[in-house]
Amino acid sequence: MLVQFLINGIITGSIYALVALGFALVYNTTRIFHLAYAALYMFAPYILLTFYVNLGIPFLLAMILSILCTMLLSLSFEYIVYKPLNKNRTSGEVVLISSLGIMIIVINLIALFYGNETKIIESSISGSISFGHIIITYNQLWQFSVSVILLVVFFVFLGKLKFGQKARALRDDTELFMVMGYDVYGMRMSLFLLSGILVAVGSNLVAFDVGMDPYVGMPMLLNAIVALIIGGVGKFEAPVLGGFIIGILQALTVWAFSARWQDAITFLLLILFLVFRPQGIFGEKERMV
Amino acid sequence: MARRKGWCKLNYLLHIIIMINIYIILATSTNLLVGVTNLLSLGQAAFYGIGAYLAVYALMILNFPLIPTLIFVFLFTAVSSLIIAYPSLRLKGDYFVLATLGFQLIVYTVLYNWIAVTRGPYGISGISAPKVLATFAISGIIPFLILSTLLAGLTVYFFRHLIHSPFGRVLKGIRDDEISVLTLGRDVTKFKVWTFVVSSGFIGIAGFLYATYVSYIDPTSFNLDEAIFILTAVLIGGSGNIKGPVLGAVFVVVLPELLRFVGLPDSIAANLRQIIFGLILIILMRVRPWGLWGEMRIV
Repeated sequence: MLVQFLINGIITGSIYALVALGFALVYNTTRIFHLAYAALYMFAPYILLTFYVNLGIPFLLAMILSILCTMLLSLSFEYIVYKPLNKNRTSGEVVLISSLGIMIIVINLIALFYGNETKIIESSISGSISFGHIIITYNQLWQFSVSVILLVVFFVFLGKLKFGQKARALRDDTELFMVMGYDVYGMRMSLFLLSGILVAVGSNLVAFDVGMDPYVGMPMLLNAIVALIIGGVGKFEAPVLGGFIIGILQALTVWAFSARWQDAITFLLLILFLVFRPQGIFGEKERMV
Repeated sequence: MARRKGWCKLNYLLHIIIMINIYIILATSTNLLVGVTNLLSLGQAAFYGIGAYLAVYALMILNFPLIPTLIFVFLFTAVSSLIIAYPSLRLKGDYFVLATLGFQLIVYTVLYNWIAVTRGPYGISGISAPKVLATFAISGIIPFLILSTLLAGLTVYFFRHLIHSPFGRVLKGIRDDEISVLTLGRDVTKFKVWTFVVSSGFIGIAGFLYATYVSYIDPTSFNLDEAIFILTAVLIGGSGNIKGPVLGAVFVVVLPELLRFVGLPDSIAANLRQIIFGLILIILMRVRPWGLWGEMRIV
């Protein structure tokens, strides 16, 4: 039984890792506490639903369209809200509250158009393969393999290309980045687009398995943030590690107690990390006060 | 018949005034954290819930009359805030917000799942009315109107004095330039902890009012959405002074009622209300981050 829970945990963890990396792409580099990311997570599967179920477009094409729409929405947040605030040099709190405002608006617009109830993209129960006592559904296999492939592609991308270097430079010192003659807002634009891809893929994979309602974004965002803090803000590998840790920890909580205490354990871990090791597992010590 | 209809309308109006009073207490206490000291907290609904459940405990199990219940709720909600105040106050900016958010979610999960004590999602109904001098029970809308107005007035009066006192000025100093206050030899952490304690004590009182007035509580009244709603009241109304949060509380309670008069169905009105709040927040953060009636400052 334990092995089954561990495997489930790793598979959930791979989704957390993907979503957390998308959040980290924005947060690590721009220090925007991007709560509206929850709205992106919720938005993507509704677009998939519209194209795939309502309009009958082939799945792969609908998936691509959903990813593109999510990227566009992500970019529009930057253009309409974050960029003007950044130009005014407003404090982090003000940006956070604006982000909260965007999240509230998008969630409620979707709820107005699609209703508050849970929607399902694929109604047939997915098949599964079993090794002895261990059962893995095809949906879980898809979730795990797509997430891992995408993560690998991203790290190759961030590691090898000049883009990765620039992202790290923007993270380390925005002013110096500007002084060196690089385009800060162009860079931010591509980061928002990339994080849109990650969140759209992650949420579509989950929604294809269990469906969605307009309020799925916030719990996932919170898991992603906890993954990021545990891993450590700064390095891009950190949220991936954090995501797997949270996934496994939650699975173990279900195994040892019950699913009801998942959230409590997750946030207890967050507070413990905030108090004793705010820089996370990978992070370097810096002054928090 | 006509008189009956008039009475209904009056009752409805009085109900709104009681809700406004509760939100005035919530907003003015949250303002001490958010507006005066610049500690953005997403955990206010947790204290609201703790206050409500403590009130139920005091009234139904300890059988306390009104005044001891108020003192009990105030003290214990204030003490409960220490659990989160000490660890989180060492953190800054986003990390502080996260710690309060984590606290909010943990309290909610505990209220929801610790069924043996809180009855979890079933909620607690038939909360007994608080008694004054062991004879007169406060129930019905008029006594609650008087009680809530008294408590809200007291809260506003207290915070007005607190903000203008030397203590309040140090808090504003922390908000505007924490390092300077440190160099002047003030113990910043001590001030922040006191802010937390006082503010959550009063929020506990709001929880008491809500629990006794509605006479039914369940954890969903104290979730993250409620915390965001309380914060919205302060941010829209304005922070840093007293006028801002008070008018903000009136605004966020009255706006949904106005939408109802326009004749929108309830399902749409709820979402539309949220959209309006979201829009106001975004626009305000761009042009007037200190809120509609708040104390003007650079942020």
